[in-house]
Amino acid sequence: MAEIIKNGALADSAWTNGTAAELGAGAPVVLHLAEYLAFRAGSPASDILAHAAVQLEPADDVQQLAPFAATVPLVVVHFPEFKEGRGYTQARLLRDRFGFKGELRARGQIRADLVYHLARCGFDAFELAEGEKVAVAIAELKRFSVAYQPCADGSTAPRRRYGG
Amino acid sequence: MYRYDTLDQTLVAERVAQFRDQTRRFLSGELGEEEFKQLRLRNGLYIQRHAPMLRVAIPYGLLSTRQLRMLGHLARKYDKDYGHFTTRQNIQYNWPKLEDVPDMLADLASVEMHAIQTSGNCIRNTTADHFAGISPDEVDDPRPYCEIIRQWSTLHPEFNYLPRKFKIAVTGSPADRAASEVHDIGLHLKRGPDGQIGFEVLVGGGLGRTPIIGKVIREYLPREHLLSYLEAILRIYNQEGRRDNLYKARIKILVKAKGEDDFRAAVEAEWERIRDGALKLDDAEIERVRAFFAPLPYESLPDIDVTEGREPAFVAWYRHNTRQHKVPGYRIVTVSLKKHGEAPGDITAEQMFRLSDLADRLSSGQVRSTHDQNLVLGEVRQQDLYECWQALQALDLATPNIGTLTDMICCPGLDFCSLANAGSIGIAKQIHERFSDLDYLYDLGHIEIKMSGCMNACGHHHVGHIGILGVDKHGEEWYQITIGGSASGISSLGTVIGPSVGKEAVAETIAKLLDVYVAQRQEEETFLDTVRRVGVQPFRERVYG
Repeated sequence: MAEIIKNGALADSAWTNGTAAELGAGAPVVLHLAEYLAFRAGSPASDILAHAAVQLEPADDVQQLAPFAATVPLVVVHFPEFKEGRGYTQARLLRDRFGFKGELRARGQIRADLVYHLARCGFDAFELAEGEKVAVAIAELKRFSVAYQPCADGSTAPRRRYGG
Repeated sequence: MYRYDTLDQTLVAERVAQFRDQTRRFLSGELGEEEFKQLRLRNGLYIQRHAPMLRVAIPYGLLSTRQLRMLGHLARKYDKDYGHFTTRQNIQYNWPKLEDVPDMLADLASVEMHAIQTSGNCIRNTTADHFAGISPDEVDDPRPYCEIIRQWSTLHPEFNYLPRKFKIAVTGSPADRAASEVHDIGLHLKRGPDGQIGFEVLVGGGLGRTPIIGKVIREYLPREHLLSYLEAILRIYNQEGRRDNLYKARIKILVKAKGEDDFRAAVEAEWERIRDGALKLDDAEIERVRAFFAPLPYESLPDIDVTEGREPAFVAWYRHNTRQHKVPGYRIVTVSLKKHGEAPGDITAEQMFRLSDLADRLSSGQVRSTHDQNLVLGEVRQQDLYECWQALQALDLATPNIGTLTDMICCPGLDFCSLANAGSIGIAKQIHERFSDLDYLYDLGHIEIKMSGCMNACGHHHVGHIGILGVDKHGEEWYQITIGGSASGISSLGTVIGPSVGKEAVAETIAKLLDVYVAQRQEEETFLDTVRRVGVQPFRERVYG
């Protein structure tokens, strides 16, 4: 069971990366985008749908998830490097444009110093990089009490210059 | 000028606290070198050849004297008593200690300033025409729009880790004193078909290894859509810009690879989806920001002849270092940071303090920084010009060379910058020595020399009327020379005249180029005009023939 930060607190996650073949056993599985799209093309039953999540790599086209935003329970966005920036846009499109309401999780080189911006883009769950302190990351989520931009975060920025 | 409200002040204070914490975690070993690098860059801190370098943002080049005094204070307390104004209107300190930087940032926050996003692959300080609001030739004042962009881009969570750095410039004048066409985004204020204010939008200009003039991707953008359109451009770039090769990562390469039309179509499609969303600016917000830049309470004064009976030195300064203000009875004064013997753009703490006093006494209590590395007193009454000149002379800030050959722009070069291949400050001195005769300089008229110590082109050499690029040849410093570049009005990139020349031969080579100009010029023709008319060949023959 992996430890993650979810909604600003420590939580357990039962999700593991795997293949579509493992889905039949009822275990929650995270699939890579291509496999997830193939899985959805097979019109799976709704009880299996709830056990299938998807992981996006930086170069993946997030538009391909648009038709499934209402029914995928978890999207994992991978940040192989600290300075990888595409996942922020993937997150905003999922939240702002496709109306994705499920868990949006950042994975990879996730350091405490990134979680505030990630949360502003709509991430509500974080798998920290190895050695990163959970308490530091949780504190960092509340680092700023104000922001200028309207973004997909809901709670972390109560005051905004634009868009109320 | 713009004043922080609680939101602005809270944001910079919280940012300082965050960086203080990050610095502490780095110094204690808790935070790794690579991660800290990304974080410190976004707070303006480079690690340079000798020491860290801190770059402080001067949004659109506008400073109050309170802020300029603080910049002097930082130079005195944390640095070697001077600062360096850059080609993007910012100021750099070359010798701070890493552990002092959080205190420096706190000092800056106390006067409504910061160093946020002055380096790193994110949206940098937005620059503007340094004569904004006071020049007779502008359509509208660009500064309110720059301030709106500053706020939108500051800690924008989606665009903090772009493929590469991203620079925006805004100009309200056809003279384009902001080099907007060589920026990632250039915005030109204009009136639309409906008579309303909006922007012509250029994308993909830039210098560096692949110099390109920006392409117009929208003829007219109504001002209420400014932020949504910028967001659309940045979003396409963040998703599609190359991240595999540092030298192909700027947006200009994406625009080129995708093609101008496909790039435009992608931006327009994205914009259609967000244009009427939360980023749409209402008139009330635009007017709120515009009110901060309302014209000053000018006195009703006649234009007067201030040169009659005055000594030639004053008359020369008046002609070259002052220019027409949009209000009668006033002049715009350019404060030269190009004195012989000083690195272009350098200023001491004492000069900053005393210039602040002077700006309070004889101008509006504001000082502007220019992209050609000078300062400006924007609001001097004509009747006070003589006194102003005397005071500036006493400060060594009245060298009457604005617009002439020795008003060079120049990066810090090998003396300070860890990227540089060659020195640039020493070459500036060599040029000053060779061309010390002011009458000769005045006869040559308007010539812009721009010099960079490496391909990164911080000194904008591609758009110099004469451009000088430092290159490394087997461990020796050599200089490649271009002519015919310009970034104002009709932008053009310079043409290389031939093989690079040795360090000792730079000023002599320039002298030969000038000989050709003097021999070939027709009436009233500037150096640039002559190059454009006769081409590079006669210059090439004179230098290498």
